Amino acid sequence: MSHGTKNPQLFENLRLELRRGCLIVAVLAQLRTEQYGYTLRKALADDGLAIDQGTLYPLLRRLESQGLLVSQWREEDKRNKRFYRLSPTGEPILRQLLDEWNNINQSLGRILQEA
Amino acid sequence: MTQPSQTNSQSLLDRYLHAVRFWLPKAQQQDIVNELSEDLHAQIEEQESALKRPLNESELEAILKRCGSPIIVASRYRPQKYLIGPALFPIWQFVLKLVLVWVLLPILVVVIGPALVSASSRWQPAVWQTFSMLCTVLISTAAAITIVFAVLERLESRLRLLDRWNPHSLPPAPRTEKRPSRTQSVFEIITGVAGLLWLLALPHYPFLVLGPLAEFLKAAPLWPRFYLPMALLAILGVAYQCVGLFRPQWTWLPPAGRLLNTLLSLAILHFLIELSAPTQAGIWQPYVVVREGFENSAQCVRVAGLVNVSVLLSLVGTWIGLCIAAAVQAWRLTRQIRERISQAHLRAI
Repeated sequence: MSHGTKNPQLFENLRLELRRGCLIVAVLAQLRTEQYGYTLRKALADDGLAIDQGTLYPLLRRLESQGLLVSQWREEDKRNKRFYRLSPTGEPILRQLLDEWNNINQSLGRILQEA
Repeated sequence: MTQPSQTNSQSLLDRYLHAVRFWLPKAQQQDIVNELSEDLHAQIEEQESALKRPLNESELEAILKRCGSPIIVASRYRPQKYLIGPALFPIWQFVLKLVLVWVLLPILVVVIGPALVSASSRWQPAVWQTFSMLCTVLISTAAAITIVFAVLERLESRLRLLDRWNPHSLPPAPRTEKRPSRTQSVFEIITGVAGLLWLLALPHYPFLVLGPLAEFLKAAPLWPRFYLPMALLAILGVAYQCVGLFRPQWTWLPPAGRLLNTLLSLAILHFLIELSAPTQAGIWQPYVVVREGFENSAQCVRVAGLVNVSVLLSLVGTWIGLCIAAAVQAWRLTRQIRERISQAHLRAI
């Protein structure tokens, strides 16, 4: 029985819930190299993980307030842009999150195989 | 020179950013608006370079629409705040329902309302007074409960009281729906029939209720009016007990029957109490009167007065007790119905 087709709103809510944690890992991973908001969004979208600015910028601020990112306003192409990169605190956290992600992925693989 | 459409587009963008700024936390307003503005300008530039012309107003409008309404965009930058958080919300909802629906509403509708109506010479202003009192009491109580819970929410976030729990302090699990035993049903029928026989014998043997006082006291003329409803009520009680005996699987019947009996008893009691109110001439309607031949005995008249006051007080006491019983029985019945619905729902899944 497919609830997704019967209840698109329910599927959308579950999809967003599933994406929320993945986006944090993706953003932290992308910011191993310094980028500003717009290019980060484009890079994520090019890799198949589109994110709207209303989600990305508050997320960047939250991650920065948690000490995982550092940012700096700089002028580039005659415009002031805020550049973000992974902080020294964020690096080990990203490694741990990636390990966790791999474990979840392997577990899910096993569960799906058993099913 | 700036093109008119470009001016309009810039004005639209400025208006959008200004609207977002209004809802942002003050300390971060400028920083967030600068970053958002930079992103929007980058999007506009990219689209303009793809189209090889400046964007018109509707194209800019589409970009802003994609970005989201100013209040939604700004809300995402704010930390999530609750007046009552998800941990305390179900307790708040439970307390609110318990106090408003199961305590205040029945007291106002069943006790205070009828009291005001019977005390007033005109019923319309009394009903209106009851209604306005109902609204005021319910709203102010709900507000007071919410304020208490909002304070608890602030305390809870600091003290983490809900984390300090002990599995041994959990309440016992609810018992599964139990059918009444056959012995219990038979016993209830026997007592119901005995009560009915006692009631039917009363007009002929008043000593069954008055005892030795029946020698000089008798029932007042108001009783025959209530005799039939009271007898029917007793018959109804025996009838649903009989049905319960032969249909024990109808577990909803005992609580529903008890509630119906209580409500009907309340109605009869209400009229009985109301009838005893003094007439316009200031004379109290008695429940018992002195028999012929004893009217001149001051002692008999005094005893009759005492009995009348005792009966009135017992009726009022019973009426209050039945009001509480009705609330409890209604709550039990509702809970049983809900359990049945949730069980049916689980079975359907």
